[in-house]
Amino acid sequence: MRQLRDLRRGRRVLLGAGLVLAVALAGCGSGSGKSGDPDAATGGRKPGEKIEMTFWSWVPGVDKAVALWNSKNPEVQVKLEKIPAGSSGGYAKMLAALKAGSGAPDLAQVEYQEIPGFLLEGNLVDLSKYGAKDDAGKFVDWQWQQGVFGDAVYAIPQASGPMGFFYRQDLFAKWGIQPPKTWTDFRQAAQTIRAKDPKAYISTFPPGNSAWFTALAWQAGAKWFGTEGDTWTVDINNAETRKVAEYWDGMVADKLVKTEPDFANGWYKDLQQGAVVGWVSAQWGDSILSGNAPKTAGKWRVAPMPQWEGAPFTSSNWGGSSTAVLKGAKYPKDAKDFAVWLNTDPESIALLIEGGYGWPAAKDALAGSTLDKPYDFFGGQKINDVFAEADKAIDKDWSWIPTTSAAYQHLNDGFQKAIAGQGTFVAAVEAAQAETEADLKAKGLKVKAGS
Amino acid sequence: MRTSRTDRRAAAGFLMPFVVLFAAFFVLPIGYAIYQSLLSVERAGPLGLGGSRTVFAGLSNYTEAFADSAFTDSILRVLLFAAVQVPAMIGLATLLALLLDAAAARAVPFFRSAYFLPYGVPGVIASILWGFLYVPGVSPIVDLLGSAGLDVDLLGSGSVLWAIANIVTWEFAGYNMLVVVAQLKSINSDLYAAAQIDGANAWQVVRYVKLPLIRPAIVLTTVFTIIGTLQLFAEPLVLRPVSTAINTSYTPNLAAYTEAFVNNNYSLAAAQSVILAVAACVLSFGFLRLVGRKGDDR
Repeated sequence: MRQLRDLRRGRRVLLGAGLVLAVALAGCGSGSGKSGDPDAATGGRKPGEKIEMTFWSWVPGVDKAVALWNSKNPEVQVKLEKIPAGSSGGYAKMLAALKAGSGAPDLAQVEYQEIPGFLLEGNLVDLSKYGAKDDAGKFVDWQWQQGVFGDAVYAIPQASGPMGFFYRQDLFAKWGIQPPKTWTDFRQAAQTIRAKDPKAYISTFPPGNSAWFTALAWQAGAKWFGTEGDTWTVDINNAETRKVAEYWDGMVADKLVKTEPDFANGWYKDLQQGAVVGWVSAQWGDSILSGNAPKTAGKWRVAPMPQWEGAPFTSSNWGGSSTAVLKGAKYPKDAKDFAVWLNTDPESIALLIEGGYGWPAAKDALAGSTLDKPYDFFGGQKINDVFAEADKAIDKDWSWIPTTSAAYQHLNDGFQKAIAGQGTFVAAVEAAQAETEADLKAKGLKVKAGS
Repeated sequence: MRTSRTDRRAAAGFLMPFVVLFAAFFVLPIGYAIYQSLLSVERAGPLGLGGSRTVFAGLSNYTEAFADSAFTDSILRVLLFAAVQVPAMIGLATLLALLLDAAAARAVPFFRSAYFLPYGVPGVIASILWGFLYVPGVSPIVDLLGSAGLDVDLLGSGSVLWAIANIVTWEFAGYNMLVVVAQLKSINSDLYAAAQIDGANAWQVVRYVKLPLIRPAIVLTTVFTIIGTLQLFAEPLVLRPVSTAINTSYTPNLAAYTEAFVNNNYSLAAAQSVILAVAACVLSFGFLRLVGRKGDDR
């Protein structure tokens, strides 16, 4: 009994030791990597040779798409291993396996904002050697560019998240509000909602989810990251981003929005009870709403994203993912072919859509697909018509840096402080600029402020 | 002579399993963490994409860790947490133990089990359970207070640390209580009889007999609590998605976890882990020295 107790008590202490151990394990064999890139001409597989590749992904529905591939390609079997979503430990798993030099899969799910980080550690295979450039035309151009660095192609795009405004049409009608066309309208609508129902808010500002804020800055015309010669550029603290931060500072100061976390129980409850009646979100938000507030079915609609005055119609993108071939893959040519098939084949796309993977990166995938239909949850609205327009109005030049997730954290930290009454969102943006420059320097990279 | 040699061999044999495991799972990882904390990565080529090599970096990861205000804040935060949590935890555990040991106590086995029961719930599960009791709109407690006109935000920046303290106390007070109870049970009841004959009342028995005699148990549980408090990790990690006030470097352990597994900077994470380990050592042994000296004075 006594030993048992000590063991249990030791659990807390061991958490720290476990970390150290994980560090130790992950560090073994650093710098060695797998050797022997296969021959570029064949990509490794001899004609008729039977091979098996592993693929790590967390995307719902991908298992069915992989099963379809396997049934059609008996010689090139893909073994899918489901892993936790990237930021919930999936990337840590990949990076640890890559660093260890064994156990890493041939293919993996990598979100757009993580591609430069993987690249920096030398973890991605340049697919242009295996004819990837011939596939460029099959994809929406800006999404294809997410995997292109210089002359090399490092990832096959899968899906994105063009944005719109989800709102409770029944409540908006009851209160006599039109869906806001501009951000000024959005503020007025927020005021009206507060006046009509003291419990209701137009939306939340999620202080712990700066990916959402990033999408709003993207819409406003900001361009945070880029490269100039051999230098990375960071321009988080620019006029457009400050405008967005100032706008939300005002919304929070006047108590026009909630400041609760999104994707959390309290927020779901508010969606169910009509305490949060709108959400500026991406196309994949439809399944979040229908899955977590099923009893509000039929009451939601989608409008285009509110606009900043004086600019042509602009939307934005939130989220985006690719299929990448990892260092050490034995058959990169076959891996690339699978990645292209997975993300362009109409049958595969249909299965992925059914799972709710987002907006296809393949060109012209909407027409005739299962996305092109009226949604009961949205009162019969063909919501993807809105997102199709949004998809055409996204600034195509957005790119990422190797320390994107750290930059997100700096913004989150600043936003959380602002919510706690210490500083403003604008101050958070300023601080994130300096901290992100420092992050890149700490990685041993050249960095320059400004675009 | 012959026996002593076989004794030595037997002793070595018995020690071996422990020494091997201790070396493999304690000394080696710590040594590797210290080694790792002295390295950094240098990059070459345009945009740093031309490859990398690991170089000796001296103490630069340590200076970087201390220069990072988020990390130093996290240390100050757990120290503040410990300053409140340790006395509260030990006070509560001792109080519960004394109540169970009181002459007038009824249904002792039931209450002992009931107090101890939360310890059987893993920390992550406990945090999820309490999370439901903290989130507005889901929590009956928050709703009840709200309908009474009290708008409380248990997950806000001023309160979430104490919401975590509540979870930790709920989890571990019963365990610490049990350690104290065990020591109380070992007190010879003749001492109580002697005290009564001398005219001591119930309070005086507690103050002058029980408390001095359970001192070793209290010291032990205090050291456990200090270490456990500095290692705070699971509770803030689980509550992070529902709170607006927990960042990714809320506690030193969380900061090291983030550096290693989100920012892919194992060297800095190792430096942070080593700093935390040293801090835990200093505080635990400092406390033992402190109470040891007082013990000598007596």
